[in-house]
Amino acid sequence: MIDPVTTEIIRCALLQAAEDMNATLIRSSYTPVIYEAKDCAVALLDRDHNVLGQSSGLPIFLGNLEVCTRETEALYGRQVWQEGDVWVLNDSYIGGTHLNDVTVYGPIFVDGALAGFAASRAHWLDVGSKDPGGSMDSTSIFQEGLRLGPVKIYAGGRPCRDLHEVIARNTRFPHATLGDMRAQVACAMTGQRRLAEIVLRWGLETVMAARDEIFVQTERLEREAITAIPDGVYSAGGFLDNDGISLDVPLPVNVTVTVAGSDMSVDLSDCADQAEGPVNCGAAQAVAAARVAFKLLVSGEVPLNGGSFRPLRVITRPGSMLAARSPAACQYYYSHLGLLIDLVVKALAGVLPGKAAAASYGDSMIVQFSGTDPRTGKLYVSQEATVGGWGAWDGGDGESALINSVNGDLRDMPIEVLETLFPVRVHRYELRPGSGGAGRWRGGDGVVREYEFLGPTSLSLWFERSVTPAWGLAGGHAGVPPRVTLNPGTAGEREVLKVNALPVRAGDVLRCESGGGGGYGMPG
Amino acid sequence: MHSLLRAARPTVVAMTYRVAMDIGGTFTDVVCYDERTGAVVASKAPSTPGDLAEGVFAALGSVVADLTEISFFVHGTTQGLNALLERKGAKVLLLAGQGAGHAYHIARGNRTRMFDLRYRKPVPLVPREHIVEVGGRLDWRGGELTALDEQAVRGAARRALAEGFDAVAVCLLFSYANPEHEVRAAEILREELGERVLVVLSHEAAREWREYERTSSAVLEAYTGPAVRRYLAGIERRFAERGLGVPVHVMQSSGGLVNASHAMRRPLQTLLSGPVGGTMGGVALARLLGGRRNAICVDMGGTSFDVSLVMDGRPDITSEASIEGFPVLMPLVNLHTIGAGGGSLAYAEAGALRVGPQSAGAVPGPACYGRGGTQPTVTDANVVLGRVDPEWFAGGLMSLDVEAAHRAVAALAGQLGMEPVRLAEGICQVANAKMAQAIRTITVDHGIEPREFALLAFGGAGAMHAVFIARELGIGEVVVPRFPGAFSAWGMLEADVRRDLTEPHFRGQESLDGPAMATALAALEASALAELAAQGVPTARRRVEHAVDMRYEGQDYTLTIPLEGADESAAPDFLPRVAARFAQAHTARYGHATPEAPVEVVMLRSTGLGTFPRLAAASPEVEERAAVTRQVVFDGVTHGTPVVRRSALAGELAGPAIVVEETATTVIPPGCVASVDEFGFLIIKVAP
Repeated sequence: MIDPVTTEIIRCALLQAAEDMNATLIRSSYTPVIYEAKDCAVALLDRDHNVLGQSSGLPIFLGNLEVCTRETEALYGRQVWQEGDVWVLNDSYIGGTHLNDVTVYGPIFVDGALAGFAASRAHWLDVGSKDPGGSMDSTSIFQEGLRLGPVKIYAGGRPCRDLHEVIARNTRFPHATLGDMRAQVACAMTGQRRLAEIVLRWGLETVMAARDEIFVQTERLEREAITAIPDGVYSAGGFLDNDGISLDVPLPVNVTVTVAGSDMSVDLSDCADQAEGPVNCGAAQAVAAARVAFKLLVSGEVPLNGGSFRPLRVITRPGSMLAARSPAACQYYYSHLGLLIDLVVKALAGVLPGKAAAASYGDSMIVQFSGTDPRTGKLYVSQEATVGGWGAWDGGDGESALINSVNGDLRDMPIEVLETLFPVRVHRYELRPGSGGAGRWRGGDGVVREYEFLGPTSLSLWFERSVTPAWGLAGGHAGVPPRVTLNPGTAGEREVLKVNALPVRAGDVLRCESGGGGGYGMPG
Repeated sequence: MHSLLRAARPTVVAMTYRVAMDIGGTFTDVVCYDERTGAVVASKAPSTPGDLAEGVFAALGSVVADLTEISFFVHGTTQGLNALLERKGAKVLLLAGQGAGHAYHIARGNRTRMFDLRYRKPVPLVPREHIVEVGGRLDWRGGELTALDEQAVRGAARRALAEGFDAVAVCLLFSYANPEHEVRAAEILREELGERVLVVLSHEAAREWREYERTSSAVLEAYTGPAVRRYLAGIERRFAERGLGVPVHVMQSSGGLVNASHAMRRPLQTLLSGPVGGTMGGVALARLLGGRRNAICVDMGGTSFDVSLVMDGRPDITSEASIEGFPVLMPLVNLHTIGAGGGSLAYAEAGALRVGPQSAGAVPGPACYGRGGTQPTVTDANVVLGRVDPEWFAGGLMSLDVEAAHRAVAALAGQLGMEPVRLAEGICQVANAKMAQAIRTITVDHGIEPREFALLAFGGAGAMHAVFIARELGIGEVVVPRFPGAFSAWGMLEADVRRDLTEPHFRGQESLDGPAMATALAALEASALAELAAQGVPTARRRVEHAVDMRYEGQDYTLTIPLEGADESAAPDFLPRVAARFAQAHTARYGHATPEAPVEVVMLRSTGLGTFPRLAAASPEVEERAAVTRQVVFDGVTHGTPVVRRSALAGELAGPAIVVEETATTVIPPGCVASVDEFGFLIIKVAP
C-alpha cells in the first residue's frame, strides 16, 4: 500500500515531465504551426502504453498518442523495443489525423529494463502532398504525401541516415522539416531523462503502485461527475457543407449520447460514409474528439492520465468518415470533428445548463497561398486559420474574434509579420459587425480580413459551416455564416468558400468574413 | 514601525549613505549602506496606499536622520502596477492605422484555456469608442504607400481635449521600420494638446514588430504613465524640500536603474520594478561570492513562489511578458511564478493528497494565525513539525495558535488515514517537490543543469524550505542573505544604470550587410552613451554591450547572441563566426542545431550600462546569546534541535538547527552545515 504523499509527489513529477517535454518541443521547433499554433502534443507512457503524464497543445490530440506505440508493438512484438531507438509514424488510419501530423516516439529503458515510452506529435509544414502545404481537393491518401509506417529514425542512439534522406527528399522544406523532427527527438530525450530520474529515485515498483492509485482516483472523479448528469439518451445533428469535391452535397453528422449511472457513451455511427474529398479521419481521432467534448462538459478539472476516459465509450462505424479506411483522403480530418464536439455540447445543453454555450463559428477557416516571392525568388507557403465569433450562454455574451475549439491556443498572423514574410498586403482586419447571433446574450462577432496579392499566387481556401452555422440556444438566434469574396465590388466579383490552387494575379483582392457565434435566450 | 537592526547613527555630516527602498503591498522595506563603515541596516514601515510617500519618509526616517547625508537613492515603485491592477489608470485615446483599428480588441484571437466554452479575453484598457483610425500607410520596409492624414490626427487631438482624455497612444503599422508617421502625429498632438496630455508613440514604447503587442505596450504606458509621473514628480519635489541632494533613481523591470526624470518620460519600464530587486541581489551575490557565477533565486512568500536565474553573473532577461493578460514588449527580468507559499492549502480529493495552488490568503490565513482558518496550510505543517518558533513568528509581531495548526492537520490526517506528523511532513514534501519542479521547468527552458547553481533563498518563507528544495534538485549549496525579507531592496543598491535600445534589422543570410550593421550599432552606441551621460554617469563608468537576435530561417523564436563590439559585424568573416556562435547557443538551449541551415538576423540590441561603486565586505558583529532547544521532526524522527539567533551565529553550525531572525527562519536539517561568510551571508552545505 503506497501512501498519499508519495503518490502525489510522483503524480506531480510525471505531469511535470510531460510539461518539460512540451516545453522542449515548442521552444526548439522551426515552424509557426508548432511554436505558434501549438499544433502538437506530448505524452509520457508506461510500458503498457498507459498515459502517465501528457500535455497537449491541440485539444483534439487528447489521449491518442498511445495508439502509435501500441500498434508498433502489435506489428513487431514487444522485443522490438531497443535502447536508443526512436520511431516515427504518420499513417492516418493509425494516428487518426492527416499525414502532416507526425508522431515521434521512443522506448525508455532504466537499468536495462523497459520502463515506458516518450511520444510527441507535431504538424510538419510539408510532407510532399501534391500541393504545397496540403490540398483541399485530394481524393486519396496517395495524393497527400509521404506515408510513414512505424519506422526507426534513430537506432542505438544514432540517426538512421537513409530514412533522413527519404524525408528530406519528400518535403518542399527540408531544413524546417528535419529541424522540427530533431525538436521532436529532443522532446523524446527529455521524456526519457525525466522518467528515468523518477524511476531511479522511487523504484519501478513504487512508481507503478502510484500509477495504479492515480488511475483509480481519476476514474473515481470522472464517475462522480457523470453520476451528477441525469440518465437519458441525448442527441443532436448537423451537416458539413460538403467534402470539397461535390460542393452541393452536405454530409450529415449525428451524435447520440447515453448517460447511464456512472457511464457515458457517445455513438458516432450515424454519419456519412467515408467521402471522396479529404474530410475523413481514422477512428482514433474521432475518439479523441469525443474526449474533448467530455472534458469541456464533464471533467474539465480532473487530471489527465491513463485513468481518464475509462467511463466513456465511443462508438464509430468502420467505413464512415469518422472511421475511414485506406485510401480515403484525410487532409481536412478536423472539420467534422469540430462539428461533432459542438453537437455533443448541444445534445447535453439541456441537462448541463451551467456548462454549455451556444455554438461557435466552428471551423479553422483556412486561407492558404503559395508561390514564388518576387522579392527573393524563393518558394513560400502561407497557411492561416481565421478567428471568429463564439456562442453566448446564460449570463454572458460570446467572445468575438477567437480561434475555433480544435485549434487551442493558436494566435492569428499579425499584419506586420504576414507582409514581411509574404508578398501580400492586408487592407482591413476588423470585427465583422452584426455577425454574432441576437439573443438575451449576444453571440460574438467574426472578423473581416482583406488581402491584396502582390504577385502571381496560388490560392486555396477551406471555409466551412455555411449549411450549419453557429446555432443559438434557448431562443437565441444563429450567427451569420462565413462569406469569402474575390475582387469585391468589381466586375469580376465572385463568392467562393472552398477552392484548391486557384491562380490569382497581382492586384487581386480577397475578402474573408468569418462567422459569428450563436445567441442565448430570446432577444429582448 | 519596527526597526530591524541596530541603526548605526551617523555622527559626522557627509554624503555617505546609499539607500534603497522597496514599496510592497503591506510593508515598505528600506536598506541603508554606510559607505565609510560598510555597515548595512534594514528597516521597514507599513506602506501607505493613499499617499505612498508617507510610508517612504517614515521608513527612511528610521535609518537616516538627515537626507543631505544620502549619496545615492533608489526605489522600486508600484504606482503604475497598482493603477493597472485596480483598473484606475488614465483615460486613453488610441490612434491606429486605417483598417487596423480593431487590432487591440482582436488581440491575436488565441484561447489560453483549452476546455473553457465560455472563454473571454481580458477586458481591453481602451474601449472601441476610444479608438480612432487615421489614414497613412507604410510597407514592410517602412516605405510610404499613402501619406499620413494630418487632418484626422488634428481632429483626434481636438477630441482628446474636448472629452478630457489624460493620454493619447499612437500605434501605426510598420512604425518600427519607419517612425516618421508616428513622429509627425506626435508633433500635431503636441501643437493641439501641449504638455499636459501624455503622448505615447508605439515605436518608442517598444520598437518591435507585431502590431497588437506593440499597441498593447503603448496602451499600457499611456494607461499607467500619468500615475507614475504624478508620483515621481511629487516625491522628487518632497525629497528636494527635505534636503536630498542627489537624483531619485528608479528600478526598471529590466533590473537596471534610471533617474526619475527619465522614468517620467518612459514610465512603462518601471511597471514591474519591485520583484526584480531580488534577482539583482543575486547578480551582486554572484560578484561578491567568488566562484558562484550561477544562482537560482527563489522568493517564497505567503501565496506565491518566484524563481529567477543568474547565469554567468548576469540576470536572465526576456524581451516579452504578459501582465494581467496584456502583452508587453520590453526587456524584463524573467520571473517564473507558481502558486506555492506558506498559505497554500492542503486538502483531500478522491483519496489523494493535494497541496495548493489555492491559498488561505491573508484572511483567514493559516489555521495557526488564529483567525478562524480550519484547513491546514504549509505553514501549519511547519508548525506541527516544530520548525516555526512561536516566539519568533513573523518577527514576534504575531502570536501563534499552535493548537489550531495541530487540529487542522489532524483533521485532514483522519480523512487520509495517516498519522498527523507524517502528514505534516508530507505536506511540506509535496510543496517542496512542486517548487523544485518550478525550478526544473525554468532551467529546462534554458537547457541548463540546476546542480551547477547555488540556490539563493529569500522572502518570508524561502529559507524554511530552501535546503529541502536544493536536495530535490541535487544542488549542493544554499545561500540565505542578510535581511531575507528586505533582500529586494538590498539588490537595488547593487544594480547598474541601464538603458536598452533596439532596432529591428530583418536580414536573411544572403542579404546580410556587415558594415551596414556596424554603422547601425555605432549609432545605437552613441545614443546609449548620450543617455548614460544624461543620467549623470561619469565617462569612466559608462559602457555599451551589443547583441543580435538571430534564428534559423523560418523559425520565430530568436536567441540573443552577444557581439564583441559594435564593429564586429564589419569583419569579413563575421557571418561564419556569428553563425557558429548561434549554433552553439542553439545546441546549449535546445539540444540540437542545424549547422547547414541558413540563419537570419531580426533585431539589433545595444545596452548602455553605468556602474556605481560597489558594496565592500563588512561582517556584522556577533552577539553573545545562548541557543534554546526545541523538538523538531526530520524524516519522521524527532530531534532535539538548537534554535539560534542569526545575530549570534559564529563559525559553523551543524544541523539539525534552526536559525531565526526578524524576517525569516532558516531550517538546517541533519547532515547539513551552515556558516556565515565575510559579507554576513549564511552559506549552507547541503548533504545529498
